[in-house]
Amino acid sequence: MTSPGPMQFYFFHLMPWPYLPADFDRYESSSVTFPNAFYDPERGHELYNRYLDELEYAEQLGFDGVCVNEHHQTAYGNMPSPNIMAAMLARRTSRITLAIVGNGLPLRANPLRVAEEVAMIDVTSGGRVISGFVRGIGMEYFGTGVNPTVSRDRFYEAHDLIVKAWTTPGPFRWIGKHYRYNYVNIWPRPLQQPHPPIWVPGVGSRETIEWMAEMEYTYLSVYAPKAQIQRWFDQLREAYEARGKKASPDRIGMLIPIYVADTDAQAHEEGRQHIMWLFGKGLKMKFEHLMPPGYVSLDGIRAGLSGRARKPFHEHSYEELLENNQAIVGSAASVRDQLTEFQKDLGFGVLCALLQIGDMPHDRTVRSMELFASEVMPHFRPAPVVAAG
Amino acid sequence: MAVDAPEPTSLEFDGATIQVLRAGSGEPVLLLHPFGCAGRWRPYHDLLSERFDVVAPDCPGFGQSDPIEWIEGIDDLVYFTLELLDRLGLERPHVVGASFGGWLAAELAVHSPHRVGRLVLVDAIGLDLPDQPYADLFAMTREETIAALFHDRAVGERVYPPDPDVEVLVQDYKDKTAFATVAWSPLCCNPKLERRLRRITAPTLVLWGAEDRVAPVEHGRRYAELIPDAMLAVFESCGHAALVEQTGPAVEAIGEFLQDVSR
Repeated sequence: MTSPGPMQFYFFHLMPWPYLPADFDRYESSSVTFPNAFYDPERGHELYNRYLDELEYAEQLGFDGVCVNEHHQTAYGNMPSPNIMAAMLARRTSRITLAIVGNGLPLRANPLRVAEEVAMIDVTSGGRVISGFVRGIGMEYFGTGVNPTVSRDRFYEAHDLIVKAWTTPGPFRWIGKHYRYNYVNIWPRPLQQPHPPIWVPGVGSRETIEWMAEMEYTYLSVYAPKAQIQRWFDQLREAYEARGKKASPDRIGMLIPIYVADTDAQAHEEGRQHIMWLFGKGLKMKFEHLMPPGYVSLDGIRAGLSGRARKPFHEHSYEELLENNQAIVGSAASVRDQLTEFQKDLGFGVLCALLQIGDMPHDRTVRSMELFASEVMPHFRPAPVVAAG
Repeated sequence: MAVDAPEPTSLEFDGATIQVLRAGSGEPVLLLHPFGCAGRWRPYHDLLSERFDVVAPDCPGFGQSDPIEWIEGIDDLVYFTLELLDRLGLERPHVVGASFGGWLAAELAVHSPHRVGRLVLVDAIGLDLPDQPYADLFAMTREETIAALFHDRAVGERVYPPDPDVEVLVQDYKDKTAFATVAWSPLCCNPKLERRLRRITAPTLVLWGAEDRVAPVEHGRRYAELIPDAMLAVFESCGHAALVEQTGPAVEAIGEFLQDVSR
């Protein structure tokens, strides 16, 4: 086996709400309509602090970064504002990169608020922020009232505005279709120059892939079967080549749930429940919520309604998920091997490891993180240079 | 029940193709579709065309019509419709609109009262009655939509087969997208419409299904109360899709109203 290329490791957290009712299956979704009476702020207090402990521990374990993200009105992930979590982590960590993946730009009435908050965290943390931008998954449009038919349009305009606010001396005017300002003049400006790195998670939209190649931001795949991700990454590399450029591995990232235990048997025995919570409960979402009108093109909806893609996450068995390579489970050695295989086939240089999965308790999460950090990550890092003599 | 659709005609609007179905003779009736009925010639079109010159456009983005880039709100659709009337040489047609089409018809009659002969609103959306919210059609599965639209579910399942092929669902998504473009915010209504309804001069029939679960009959009562010369007809055992669910009686009531020489 050839030696794998270097890889950056990010510990990705969703902050799920694990305390679902026993009869959860009778609800249509974990989101939008799932009653927030099931949220218990007392337990929430413990849970947020536990999850933040896990994110902070990632720094001690030697991860390159941690990832926080934005979801609304859902048990799937309890971070409506990822910037708040990143801000707390900025003061409790000193070295690690804080990847916000990402702020849901079209969901904001005032995108300059994103430019300001990310700049605040960048300045406070000493330039440790990665600024992810997302459209937000379809269901977010039900909870925010934003019209999904203009989602893509607003995303691009908000992006252009934010980057300009970070990089162009103010005050300047912004007269756009969705946002209009006589004065754009943000304080603070970001520490990183010209601006914090930008990541954009994607699910294979051709338009996004072309745009990513144009902008040379880091593209992050989310949850899809490996064969599908391979097509997306190939398309991304082709889109770079069509522009006479080459997609370096640090421009290609993958988010995947990973569970490591002492043996393969133990990992599957323990991990199955948590993987099934993530896909079967957390990701139990109504098709109509995920695909509000105009959120995708007619070709996009046709693809979504056709063939295998039509089967929702929550109808997959554990075996199917593993067969599709939608999660990596095993001993450290076998996770290392699987990851090597992934990297060989997909050619990515950024791994976002979802190591806290669904209803996984703290002790298992920490043990899996430790095994991953000590026995998997070093294999993908350049050997330290040892002085001869 | 299948009926033969007339040969469609196409008009170009700013590079977009707009389809119009037209048949029958008599006084012209502009028939504005609900969001799920564009591009189809249904039995109610056919029945109405026995007495009138029925002009049924697919609004931009709906049915077989392309989207038009500048259509962002219901007011844009009013200007589109006025231009369409001009291009078709329709000076003052009767206007019949159902559901989404009823909203557009009401907005048209508010904007240009002189362009509307008589007005018929069938289970129209458009009013802002927070205590009688619209059902969220955007969040519904096909099965849920049928259950919401029809009082008699069996009728609904005949018209909208529950498990159609992908292209039918893609067409649904196209129609829903065109609808959402103007209706997603603020939630299928124009809060300003209510205070403008007194501008309407056309004699108006407000026709409603008593069991409308999408736009409850209180919306019909409000329209009838605020439009100066309006009468309300409520059909028992009838849901939101009144023209489909009770085609015969509904078309009969509309025909009588439009041809009533005593008004």
